[in-house]
Amino acid sequence: MNKQLVTNGRLGESYLRVEHPSGLTMLLYPMQGYSTSYAMFSTKYGSIDTCFKTGEDTEFATVPAGIAHYLEHKMFESEDGDAFERYAKTGASANAFTSFDKTCYLFACSDHFKESIEILLDFVTDPYFTKETVEKEQGIIGQEIRMYDDDPGWRVMFNLLESMYQNNTVKVDIAGTVESIAQIDADLLYRCYNTFYNLNNMVLTVAGNFDPQEVLDAADKILKKAPELHIERKVAEEPAAVARKRFVQHLPVAVPMFYIGFKSPNAGEKQNFCNMIYDEMILDLVTGETTELYRQLYNDGLINSGIVGETMPGRDYLCSMISGESKDPDQVYERICRAFEKVAVEGVDDEAFERVKKSTYGRYLGLFAKPDALASAMTNCYFAGIDMYDLVELVANSSKEELEKRLREDFSSENSSLSIVMA
Amino acid sequence: MNYPLARECIAPGVHFSSITDRKFKHNRMSVNLVINLDRDKVTNRAVVPFILRQGTKKCPDFTKLNERLCDLYGASLDAGVDKFAEYQIITLGMSGIDNRYALHGEDMVSECAGLLAEILFEPNITDGKFDAQETALEKQYLLDTINAEINDKRSYAMTRCKDIMCADEGCSIKKYGYAEKVEQITPESAAEAYEELLRVAQVEILFEGCGDPTAAKEIFRKKFEGTQRTPILVASYCGRNQQGEVKQEVERMDVKQGKLVMGFRVEGVTEYKKMNAERIAVALFGGTANSLLFKNVREKMSLCYYCSAGYDRNTGLMMVHSGVEAENIEKTKEAVLQQLQMMQRGEFEDKDITETVMFMKTALKATTDSLGAMDSWYLTQILGGTEVSPDGEIELSSQVTRKDVIEAVSCIKLDTVYMLLPKEKEGE
Repeated sequence: MNKQLVTNGRLGESYLRVEHPSGLTMLLYPMQGYSTSYAMFSTKYGSIDTCFKTGEDTEFATVPAGIAHYLEHKMFESEDGDAFERYAKTGASANAFTSFDKTCYLFACSDHFKESIEILLDFVTDPYFTKETVEKEQGIIGQEIRMYDDDPGWRVMFNLLESMYQNNTVKVDIAGTVESIAQIDADLLYRCYNTFYNLNNMVLTVAGNFDPQEVLDAADKILKKAPELHIERKVAEEPAAVARKRFVQHLPVAVPMFYIGFKSPNAGEKQNFCNMIYDEMILDLVTGETTELYRQLYNDGLINSGIVGETMPGRDYLCSMISGESKDPDQVYERICRAFEKVAVEGVDDEAFERVKKSTYGRYLGLFAKPDALASAMTNCYFAGIDMYDLVELVANSSKEELEKRLREDFSSENSSLSIVMA
Repeated sequence: MNYPLARECIAPGVHFSSITDRKFKHNRMSVNLVINLDRDKVTNRAVVPFILRQGTKKCPDFTKLNERLCDLYGASLDAGVDKFAEYQIITLGMSGIDNRYALHGEDMVSECAGLLAEILFEPNITDGKFDAQETALEKQYLLDTINAEINDKRSYAMTRCKDIMCADEGCSIKKYGYAEKVEQITPESAAEAYEELLRVAQVEILFEGCGDPTAAKEIFRKKFEGTQRTPILVASYCGRNQQGEVKQEVERMDVKQGKLVMGFRVEGVTEYKKMNAERIAVALFGGTANSLLFKNVREKMSLCYYCSAGYDRNTGLMMVHSGVEAENIEKTKEAVLQQLQMMQRGEFEDKDITETVMFMKTALKATTDSLGAMDSWYLTQILGGTEVSPDGEIELSSQVTRKDVIEAVSCIKLDTVYMLLPKEKEGE
């Protein structure tokens, strides 16, 4: 077993990185003084992975949209009861979620950590589906999809992704549709499971109050050596241009909701993740509450409840989104595009750059104060191929020149789109 | 029982409470102005924190104010309105990194407390008026917030059910007020509401984090020294009993999924120990992923994605809510009632109690690992007139017996059923 203590001088903290013989990487971050611990067992497999092949296959297989999420629901069942019942005996609060590029199983607990980590490692490595149990889930997930159909905040974001991307599967709803999930059966679930739930394609992150030795013991006890990993994911060619510039859906809402998206060039998985830091800083610099743009929008009554910026990096995509509510989303969109163009030409003010660097540092420091935030961040970093502490260093060492370069490349009005949900 | 919150009266009706925990890297402080929910005044008061958040006399420029926050390592400033039983709570809060982590040795506690105090005590009021344009904008924001109730169908349906259920009770008064009253807000009326809040609200200042709270306490003590105050006294609230027929209402909207909300009265539970047993009973009934509603209505019957129950001890209400296909809504309602009756007859296992208590323990322990969660936990304790820490609550929970649980579910009575359904298609 390869164990390495990773240390950061700036924070005065360290964590343990373990390469377990089974093939699983474990990142273990004990935190002094905390009462709870948070564990997250994740596979690099999400809603975008619908076309793939393994070593033996000659052809790419295409599976129904929403299958990664369906699989997540079904993993909780085993031959002798479900995982929630097992967790109930330890008092852990368990959950799972599927995103575009990963599926994560997690729990938080204050006691019986050893038992809970064993349950986690065990049920995620032990699939059990039958025709009946798979069919039963159609009703539950069908209602989950319906719930999101009525959720204007969810719709306005997914409509934007559908507008921005022409071919990339990031444009497809994570849960799929009632029609697509109707095609899912036990065989398909096993196929996806056997492909992606390979320990070499997974990571376990734990943060908070726990003893790393208990994790190592549980891993030794439960995990079997995984076969070598050969996954080939089919990646669709994605042009720089967006699919549609503007899209409107009508739903019962009080004030129109909007999502504005900037589609950035794909720089590869790791670089997309690093570019995220700069793009987040740029969002702050151009649209944040300290900007002239924000003041104008506010003064003109165009954004009463503020606007929120976020950057989403992934395997083969990178985009930044700005969302809010406005009586005139087109006007907001217009002004935001002009603001990015203006800063791209004029450059960034030194003082403003230093200020945003400082506030970004404070925000990233916050990640190290909460077990759940820390375990999630470690998972994201691992899948992107960077170390957790590199995040803080990236912020601390960021330069204005690189930021200006990113601004010109990642925020072009031409490759942007506007999504609106209104009554 | 050990109660770690240090509470000190620093002016008439003004308390400063603090809890120090070295494991954190940040500090959070909040100023909570607590006042009776008053149907006529609630709207005018609700706009105040949002105007205050825009700037101060010294720093009237919102952009400059936010630059100051950025310079404080991205300290976050929040302004909000909340509700506790029959009281409205106006909150200004700030979170920032501790002195230990500042790159240039800044005194973060004093800086943050100073800025928070400046926002509260030195608003941009001239000749008894807030700035006209800012007032107009924040009026619009308030109006949008009130109208936005409809956006989230899940919470909209819950609110509608409570509105019907508690129509003539103080606790049904809306925390943000009423759309028709927003128009009447003026720069003068908002300034008056502000002055009145400072004069009569019970003020609870809370400080949680790894830093020394002394500097913050002294800043607020000085600020309150000069004010003339006639503060209200927060009293505990007694919920009502269910009366007459079960109320039922159906509303139709352009939605795909139906929502079922069932409002129950939890009768006669006023003692803290009993409230704790009620919490356990309701969690066992529908509050966890191992609860009766989850196991039966979702997993066995596949009727829905969520069907859960929540108990608010401050109003004595238990709400059950679910998102279901319209044609299954009656079936779901029957299933919920059946589960409740079974529980009232004691048809659950002892291990269900043990497991629920363990689950609650995890949630309570997690409270102590989050500054925001501690802030609301201790404010609730203060306003409810109790002194129970999360650890104390764990101890109480561990004493809950089977008899306590049956007694707790036996005083739950169905009061109101609300259904939100898709519009009927034309021609059907």
